[in-house]
Amino acid sequence: MSVSRDDFSIAFRSALLQRGASHKFSILSLIILAIVIFFLDVYGFTAVKTARSFINDVVYRVTYLASAPTRVFPSVNSGISSHFNLKKENEELRKVIERYKALDLNLEYVSNENKNLKKVLDTEVAENVTNIVLAKVLVDRNSPFLKSIIINKGSKEGIIKGMPVTQNKYLVGRIVETNYLSSRVLLLNDLNSRIPVTFDEKSTQAILTGGGTRKPTLAYLPEDYEFKDDITVFASGKDGIFNAGTPIGKTQNNGEVELFVDPNQLSFVTVNLIKPTKEIF
Amino acid sequence: MARGNILNKLFAVGPLFLLYYLSISEIDTNLEKLFEVFSLNLQIIIIYFWIIKRPSLMGTGHIFFAGLINDVVMGFPLGISSLSYLVVCFVGNYVRNKSVNTTIASDWFTFLIALLFANLLFFSLLNNFSDVVISYSKIGYNTFFTLFLFPVFWFLFNLYQISFIGSQDA
Repeated sequence: MSVSRDDFSIAFRSALLQRGASHKFSILSLIILAIVIFFLDVYGFTAVKTARSFINDVVYRVTYLASAPTRVFPSVNSGISSHFNLKKENEELRKVIERYKALDLNLEYVSNENKNLKKVLDTEVAENVTNIVLAKVLVDRNSPFLKSIIINKGSKEGIIKGMPVTQNKYLVGRIVETNYLSSRVLLLNDLNSRIPVTFDEKSTQAILTGGGTRKPTLAYLPEDYEFKDDITVFASGKDGIFNAGTPIGKTQNNGEVELFVDPNQLSFVTVNLIKPTKEIF
Repeated sequence: MARGNILNKLFAVGPLFLLYYLSISEIDTNLEKLFEVFSLNLQIIIIYFWIIKRPSLMGTGHIFFAGLINDVVMGFPLGISSLSYLVVCFVGNYVRNKSVNTTIASDWFTFLIALLFANLLFFSLLNNFSDVVISYSKIGYNTFFTLFLFPVFWFLFNLYQISFIGSQDA
């Protein structure tokens, strides 16, 4: 009995403390070091934050370079397939252009009507957002736990935590971490994402809740609310972070929202340099 | 002879290179486009296999550093992946010290223990000490698929070891 206990303790100690030619550090010392780094990072000491910001910038750039082969092969493949589909694509694009021309005329009429109605209501005419930053997606690694992307613009460009991120004026997410030369964007389908939204003719209010899956869901709806397909969901702006009226996606009859922007297909995004009225996280 | 030595050295750093590359690149093992709940922690499989079979190829310092890089890329608090990798490393070391000869069945069973310890530590630290929230189901699926696919990678790595490094176990 005592021999087996001795065996256990010897094997245990050896596993923790053993060092050798390729193992210059014992596991115990590295575990202690990792715990110290973890708590220093979690409790956010200024020196650690600065160091982390610097490390992030360097690692994101290296990640971007290291991922080059994974980006080249799919683009070559899609380039070849698109070459063979040019004629068909051309016909389809012509149809789309015709449709957009008709929509454009309609839009002009609606926006004029909207301006006139605002004058009647004596409200301020919302100015277009001109202070935006175009950013390239450096890393869009698809983690099983976190849905986020890294962009190549950071605090140097005036980006701060909480700023909304869009693509083609569709909401993509918000900034959750800023470094000097890069930032992390939390996507709408992340488990930690909660956004107040409004939709349908009754201006129903709800919270768009990410679940870590592809499509976020609508929560905190009025009682006995029945979902309908194809209703556009907009940011309500009640959180003081997102612009009211920013389109997000279309509803589905199971309460999920099909986002206008596929979170897995982002190449360029725009950061709206609007200072949030609330501190995020 | 010299060229053979260089080739042998290159093959020997293969697992470590793969570990670093998986940590730093965009290549991910989360194939949610094909199957929504599928995710796999290949780094843990790599670490466990090579710590058991050829510990000389997988230095603990490198494992620690790969964990730190993974944290930066994934957006986790620094040190959390290193901790979970080192726990796997510790269980692997312990199993190697206690066993004379290992089979795929024994490796699979002990891998379950290592994986449970590592993911439990990862989940509890993340949920209790950081702002990041992850769901039980996500980590459950990740644990399940990582465990389920361990034998597949065991065969692949074993084949690599026999073909390029040599079949001598630790």
